[in-house]
Amino acid sequence: MVAGHFGFAALVKSRERSAPLWALMLATVWLDIVFVPLFLAHWETVIPVHAGYGGMVIHADYTHSIAGMLALSACLGAMFLPKLGRRVALVIALVSASHWVLDLVVHRADMPVLPGNFGNLPRLGFGLWSHPPAAACVELVLVVAGAIMYWRAAMDVSAKAGRNGRLASLSAAMIAIFGLLVLFLDYTS
Amino acid sequence: MAFLSGIFLFVVVVGLVDRRLPWPSAKHREVSKW
Repeated sequence: MVAGHFGFAALVKSRERSAPLWALMLATVWLDIVFVPLFLAHWETVIPVHAGYGGMVIHADYTHSIAGMLALSACLGAMFLPKLGRRVALVIALVSASHWVLDLVVHRADMPVLPGNFGNLPRLGFGLWSHPPAAACVELVLVVAGAIMYWRAAMDVSAKAGRNGRLASLSAAMIAIFGLLVLFLDYTS
Repeated sequence: MAFLSGIFLFVVVVGLVDRRLPWPSAKHREVSKW
């Protein structure tokens, strides 16, 4: 899941208007950003199950463990705390944690509780990626709902500031179009 | 590919456009509560 995370961040922006969108977008894929260097170092791995969308088991045993997710989200929130204040920093940390929750829906029981799957506890994941069209539909709903909710909030703040809604519409349209493009790239990979 | 495109399009491109909208300031909101 890639596009769905960004759609969710747009949705959060509509509810928490003082949080910068770029920070929410960064937060929503923060666990995956940290995953990249660990993947390149072979500390975390991807095992293909089949070609195409969601066709993999991801052993992101540090970044996508529950404990790892909590630690990384807290670190990200702490980084934004001095600049954005407690409330927005907390929202950013929660958006980072939401990545794990959305991944839980699609992953194939590959997300551990503790880093490195310490204690060999059961791995988590509802496995919606086993049904690619259904997983893509969830992402599509998140992108469309995020773009619509964002547009409504952006139009509202523009109207209150006495500005026309052109920039708000452009920004929301970009979220929708880019979201669909990213989902298409992911689905046809 | 989708991941890298997403980072660039959403964090950089949409983020830059969104910054021009008159959203309330995070710090101002927190201070104004006191």
